[in-house]
Amino acid sequence: MITGKYLVAVSIWLPVAAALLCWLGQSYSLRNIVSYLTGIILAVCALGLFLSGPFDYQPGEIWGLSWNTAISAADFALLALILYIGWRQRHKLIIILAAIQALLLICFDFGLGGSEIEPVPAFAVDHLAIIMALIINIVGSLICIYGVKYIAEHEEQHPVAKSRQPRFMFWLIIFLGAMNGLVFANNLYWMYFFWEVTTFCSFQLIGHDQSDEAIGNACRALWMNSLGGAAFALGLVILLRYGGGDYLSMQYLLSHHTAAGATGAILLAVSMLVLAGMTKSAQLPFQSWLLGAMVAPTPVSALLHSSTMVKAGVYLILRLAPVYAGTYLSSMTAIAGAFTFLAASVLAISQSNAKRVLAYSTVANLGLIIACAGINTPTAISAAIVLIIFHAVSKGLLFLCTGYVEHEIGSRDIEAMEGLADRLPAAATIFTIGIISMFLPPFGMLVGKWAAIESAAQLPLAAFLLVLASAVTALFWLKWLGRMLEGRPGAIAQREIMDSHYIASLGGLTAAAVLLSIFIGPVVNSMVTPAVTQYYFSPGLEANLETIAAGSGGLFSVWPLFILLALIAVAAGFLYQPRKVKNPPVYLCGENAGLPESTVFMTTGENMGEVKLSNYYFTGFLNEARWSRVVNRVGLIMILLLLGVTLW
Amino acid sequence: MELINKSRVKSPWLLHYDGSSCNGCDIEVLACLTPIYDVERFGIINTGNPKHADILLITGGVNKKAARVVKNLYEQMPEPKVVVAVGVCACSGGVFHDCYNILGGIDRVIPVDVYVPGCAARPEAIIDGVVRALQVLAAKTDKEAVV
Amino acid sequence: MVKALMVVLLVVIMAPLLGGLLTGIDRVLTARMQGRVGPPVLQPFYDVLKLLGKEALAANRRQVAWALGYLVLIIASLALFCLGGDLLIIVFTMAFAAGSFVLGGFSVRSPYSHIGSQRELLQMLAYEPVLILLALGVYLQTGSFMVKDLFHQSQPLLASMPLVFIALLIVLTIKIRKSPFDLATSHHGHQELVKGITTEYSGPYLALIEVTHWYELVLLLGLAAMFWTHPLGAGILLALAAFFIEMVIDNICARLTWNWMIKFTWTGGIILCLINLGVIWVLRAGGV
Repeated sequence: MITGKYLVAVSIWLPVAAALLCWLGQSYSLRNIVSYLTGIILAVCALGLFLSGPFDYQPGEIWGLSWNTAISAADFALLALILYIGWRQRHKLIIILAAIQALLLICFDFGLGGSEIEPVPAFAVDHLAIIMALIINIVGSLICIYGVKYIAEHEEQHPVAKSRQPRFMFWLIIFLGAMNGLVFANNLYWMYFFWEVTTFCSFQLIGHDQSDEAIGNACRALWMNSLGGAAFALGLVILLRYGGGDYLSMQYLLSHHTAAGATGAILLAVSMLVLAGMTKSAQLPFQSWLLGAMVAPTPVSALLHSSTMVKAGVYLILRLAPVYAGTYLSSMTAIAGAFTFLAASVLAISQSNAKRVLAYSTVANLGLIIACAGINTPTAISAAIVLIIFHAVSKGLLFLCTGYVEHEIGSRDIEAMEGLADRLPAAATIFTIGIISMFLPPFGMLVGKWAAIESAAQLPLAAFLLVLASAVTALFWLKWLGRMLEGRPGAIAQREIMDSHYIASLGGLTAAAVLLSIFIGPVVNSMVTPAVTQYYFSPGLEANLETIAAGSGGLFSVWPLFILLALIAVAAGFLYQPRKVKNPPVYLCGENAGLPESTVFMTTGENMGEVKLSNYYFTGFLNEARWSRVVNRVGLIMILLLLGVTLW
Repeated sequence: MELINKSRVKSPWLLHYDGSSCNGCDIEVLACLTPIYDVERFGIINTGNPKHADILLITGGVNKKAARVVKNLYEQMPEPKVVVAVGVCACSGGVFHDCYNILGGIDRVIPVDVYVPGCAARPEAIIDGVVRALQVLAAKTDKEAVV
Repeated sequence: MVKALMVVLLVVIMAPLLGGLLTGIDRVLTARMQGRVGPPVLQPFYDVLKLLGKEALAANRRQVAWALGYLVLIIASLALFCLGGDLLIIVFTMAFAAGSFVLGGFSVRSPYSHIGSQRELLQMLAYEPVLILLALGVYLQTGSFMVKDLFHQSQPLLASMPLVFIALLIVLTIKIRKSPFDLATSHHGHQELVKGITTEYSGPYLALIEVTHWYELVLLLGLAAMFWTHPLGAGILLALAAFFIEMVIDNICARLTWNWMIKFTWTGGIILCLINLGVIWVLRAGGV
């Protein structure tokens, strides 16, 4: 696979080169060109990978050294850097966790001779990795293009002595390279390295603004992910000690344990990797790092939530799913994921900060994906992959749109977004599509959720949690959307001028959200089904997946609903013709003051009042701090149970 | 079209507004809804919302403060619509006609189609007034082009 | 394909006639329960025809678009139901329809339609889990989510899922806007929310919503009829009985607050479903 090899190399090294160029070049126009060019090349690379299909790739040597040694050295360097940061911030947890990781690595490298063992191949690009690569390189690149403009505006609004834009773009773009490495890696030791790089990148990006809050939250992200890193390292040590060198190869692990689930020490190691995935995917009780990450500029949030970082966690858990199929670990993972889905959805109701709503929704949806991995039937796994794809697109879109709106109106509060449909009609339309695509038919997320609930019927407790959560999600999405759509009778929508960066990224993602959903059949058949069938061999599977693709027995297909939605949009134009329809003021018990603002009314003593509206947040009952404590405890118990059932 | 015009007469939804009544007529209006008089027989519903109403039924004279409200309510009703003034105060101001704050009958503010006198107007009279209003409504629709 | 289209066409034409008639019967029976004569049975049709002939007032285009969405999506769910489609998809499409209605209320800066929308959202929160659990129960019992597979059952669903049926009655009370849960928009004007979501709709647009309610009524009664598919006549009688029970409940209850509704459905309704599903689960696991 001569081309495949280059594609992998380009996907990993091009972002590194581009990032360095941004950092050293220091000019806006350079960053601009670099981000567009990198984006296009990476997208082409990903498409090339998709067309070439799966392959393995073993890189040669570098300056006479094996790559394994280089990675090993880089690992230690990175840990030293993290230790230094921990020491500078006087953050005990970071120091301790980094030290533990270092000790485990020393144990791995020198005690067990791990650095000598090099499972072949180092990279295995399979169907799932290709899907991830497409997401990272297309959605991620669009976010980087958006980021160039956004961070420039951000610095206009929050001036700093020395521009931090080059630094910002450096970390943003290099993130893509690390993620590409992570998804392609077959050697778990290499994957661990890329894992740590993404942790470090996110630390740098979250702390970008250098405020006390930003640094504090960045440190929290670092220690929580270091905990995951330590679990990952421990998993590696156990695998090497009790399994042997072969077990460091993901492919070996998968092929060896597909028929029957893993047992004993290997399962323990797998549970450690699952725990690592859960910290990275911000599952309860680790959700606070992702919520804290909201202090970062919006492109960072978009990147962390949609195509990178948190997706690394679910990717690992999903990759390992065949290994722990049929074990208690699997059921427990499903229940923990489903519980996170419910708890995070409920907490989202109480939030009026748009980014926090999105963050909770991310935590919730990742919980759903992990629940699917835990349910561990072929249908559930395909549901999980479908959810990963569509969540990346829709969530990226929603974050970018929130960032755009924040720069336009100066607030990320949902209440401040009221009447957006008349103030920023394009943004409101994008929001409408984005929000509907998150949880309603006929969009991809719903198809995934549907398949998830159908397959969860095997596992009653998980199914029950999913059902409750699914009902709760509608509440926080619709009340947010409702605020934006609100308008005074007869108000004329303002003209909206959008920067080309924003048009490219928002337009691209909106188109992707709609088109992918319309063509979900081909998407499932050409991408998801191969990714599932490579590790699951069960009769009737094809028929099952056909069901998702074409609808149940051909009766439910997404096409008719999309046609109906288009019909509604067109017919509404005929039903409501502005010249023919009168727009009287709203009903205010007849007390309208008769001003052009039709929502001003007369109060006592000939004073005037204006209608004030606000969403329900139930803050009295749904106190975020109190409930977070409660659900964190439950989450912690779930994690302990998860490890407990493994040992048992 | 014919069907719609017929239905109009069979489905009068009304909005009841109390201008500055002594509540005597209001009690009688409410009495119409009770089992004894049961105006729902005629398809009449008390909507409480001008945007759904066909008939604006007003009791009591109009005072200076209520004038704006009456106008607003009338304007917020979709065409075709009729106005019924119930009780002598609504018709002419009644015993309050020269009161310092009273402008007079409803017709000082908006056009009235049917006057139902009485102090208080009896339920039978109110029902009769509404039924007459329906004839006005039918006549109006014959004349006006309807969107 | 042709057959499916015929079914859809039949649904589009027949359902509102049936729904309107049922609504008319509801109004007459309600009047009789209150010792009144009540309106003619065809009153709902007169109302809608009149509304169609009235002046069109609206705040903006999206308000109209969402109302239309409500209608079209309810018809879509009903068509899916009549074609014997997947219950979960039907429930999700109904959720989109209800969401569309909610967004229509939100589209105007009016305190009354706004509060109506908020409450409708809470209603969705209240009944949605019960409906999905109903679908899950059907799956546990029959091994399929498809409505059409219910017709292969020898034993009526009611025999194995009586508690879920009771939970469905609670959902019906909420969905067809009967007391004690007519919180979001009701058949009568109310002080604190006037007409809720529909407050700012008038004329033909209001007619659109009324017709949607008819379709929705047929769909909901269809869900009740699903509990007895052999013979289907028994199911229809069951649905009509459920409808009558709703009328009685409507007439003997005062309106309650949304807190009460959520507490009632999330404890009462969901626990009923859980017990029932648990029993089915245990029986199935026991091989009975």
